[in-house]
Amino acid sequence: MEKLNLFDIQGFVARGYNFPYACYLLAEISHHEAGRSFVGRVTEKVTSAEPWEQGKKPESTLNIGFTWQGLAKLGLPDVTLMSFPVEFYQGMRRRNRILGDVDQNDPSHWEPIWREDNVHVWLAINAQTREELTRRADELARLMEETQGARSLYTQQAAAIRIDGEPSTKEHFGYTDGFGNPDFSGVVRDTIPGQGKLMPDGTWAPLATGEFLLGYPDEAQELPACPVPYLLGINGTYMAYRKLHQNVASFRDYLAKKGAQYPGGAEKLAAKFVGRWRDGTPLEPSPEQPDPELTKDKRRNTNFTYGHDLDGARCPIGAHIRRTNPRDAFGFNGGLVNRRRIMRRGMPYGEYTPEDQQAHDQDEHGIIFMALGASLFRQFEFVQQQWVEYGNDARLGNDKDLLTGCHSGGRDRFIVQGTTDPGNIPFVCGGLPNFVEMRGGAYFFLPSLTALRLIATGSVDPR
Amino acid sequence: MANRNGDMYGLTVLSPIINDPALKVSHDTALRIYLQKLPRHEQSPFAGVSGTHLCRLVVMDDVVFVGHPAKEEHLKSKYLIFTSNLYGDPDAYLEGMARTHPQVVEDIWSHCVGFPGAKDPKAFADYIRKCQLETTFFFADVNDKTVEQTLRALQMKVEFTAFVEENQGKSPVELQKEFARFWERFGQLQLPQPGAKELTRHLAPGV
Repeated sequence: MEKLNLFDIQGFVARGYNFPYACYLLAEISHHEAGRSFVGRVTEKVTSAEPWEQGKKPESTLNIGFTWQGLAKLGLPDVTLMSFPVEFYQGMRRRNRILGDVDQNDPSHWEPIWREDNVHVWLAINAQTREELTRRADELARLMEETQGARSLYTQQAAAIRIDGEPSTKEHFGYTDGFGNPDFSGVVRDTIPGQGKLMPDGTWAPLATGEFLLGYPDEAQELPACPVPYLLGINGTYMAYRKLHQNVASFRDYLAKKGAQYPGGAEKLAAKFVGRWRDGTPLEPSPEQPDPELTKDKRRNTNFTYGHDLDGARCPIGAHIRRTNPRDAFGFNGGLVNRRRIMRRGMPYGEYTPEDQQAHDQDEHGIIFMALGASLFRQFEFVQQQWVEYGNDARLGNDKDLLTGCHSGGRDRFIVQGTTDPGNIPFVCGGLPNFVEMRGGAYFFLPSLTALRLIATGSVDPR
Repeated sequence: MANRNGDMYGLTVLSPIINDPALKVSHDTALRIYLQKLPRHEQSPFAGVSGTHLCRLVVMDDVVFVGHPAKEEHLKSKYLIFTSNLYGDPDAYLEGMARTHPQVVEDIWSHCVGFPGAKDPKAFADYIRKCQLETTFFFADVNDKTVEQTLRALQMKVEFTAFVEENQGKSPVELQKEFARFWERFGQLQLPQPGAKELTRHLAPGV
């Protein structure tokens, strides 16, 4: 595998930034010429994946993506527009039945901006401080003003939850989030055990570049479907953006109620829901108690498999992390999973309610979930449809993911498999409420720097 | 035994459709209209044909060569494709179909060349077997259960998980009593309808 041109790939695609503050500006392109001028000015400021000087993080980063409607509004040729995959053209809202975004999660209940096709551009700022975040947002507002090329529709603020004044990687239910992402070839970093693909000898290797970037062979040794011209696609990728509201009070009440009945107690039950203790310790290597040393150790905290736990006695078969990344649980040494991996970029939004204070479902809090990959259809949509909203692959019938599934009517159940050990008996959690509700989202294309310049200069030529 | 996967049989049948230019509505059109109006899910007549896990009927007009250089080729006839993932012996299955649903068999295959009628189940089975192709490769999600066993297992999942949820934590004596009661009531439950989209719970507590 040759070295990737990191100067051409957007930084957001190549790495998780882990900055404490972020905002996502959702904007409408007003006119193709002015819009292209805006894109050109922004491109000069977009953060690439080039290594940071002396390894030091910058004060802030800027990245950009477009919906299909955005690319159309920017005047891309019809031949190019028609060469994008159908799911990207249709967008998340029209794919709602495939994604299980129905009932309470139906697009008719989404926030107003997501109910229309006006969201054309996604601009992401990540920053070390709130002041820097504001400065970059003001800068973008000025560019919009000067070029008259885009109009801001909505600004989604997001920030790491602070515990004892320090930014953490917790989300609103109290779980430590964001462990690892799939390793793929060409990104300069050490392979971390548990994060690529499982090899026959039990070691882990990076996934093929084409699983996450257009223009390179994927795990099937094929080039991913790429828009024409090829130059527009290479080094770019797709992103599913979802604003997921969290019903914190419902979660805490449910956990307290069921935790009181579960012989292992509430904390263990919380771990069974997700497959990790709330401090982040994976259940598979540490089923009886959290292990802070293990959790801190990057070479161990994602390094586990489920092959020896097919009955789910340690980590339930339906636990969130086991559903969404089943590793070797379906046999074939993990081979069924390698084409279904997603890169996650998530950030909480809203005020965190400490555990000792009364939480409210209706408060504005949740997570901005972003999943990246070379095929929305094969990766994100498959995981969402088959592994989150359905259970057949895991032999769980039509059970859904407890945490993020759409549980209409309170009839869904989550089964905690167990053993004859009194502290680990099987347990059924019924009457699941919706812990997470969909508030809206869209599919974006995150082009390379080269492609951004093609778009900005009106040089996209499919011939 | 490419037609078999465990106890499951993958039946693939191509029956030539009668070509009669004198007809106002051709056989293939009439058959297509009939199939499109056939009730689905538990209302489908095939849901009532014992042993059917999954079956499909398609009218194939022609096959088109895709490639280079272009070649114009045509089938000698239009065909009715009938595929079925069935449990057990295909002859017994086909004879059973003719016995329990003679009118449906008649309505469908009377559009096909050489159909002997549904009155003689063995003659119908022989006819279908004559039209059979080797399946070569098929996938059976569950390959060792009858339709009835599958339905009973799904029903058990629905009822038993509800039972566990409502009774977990009780003393062994109580649990045994409740379970004996559950087991007796479960045994009396009717089998769910084959082809039903969703199974509903029947054994509500305290009833």
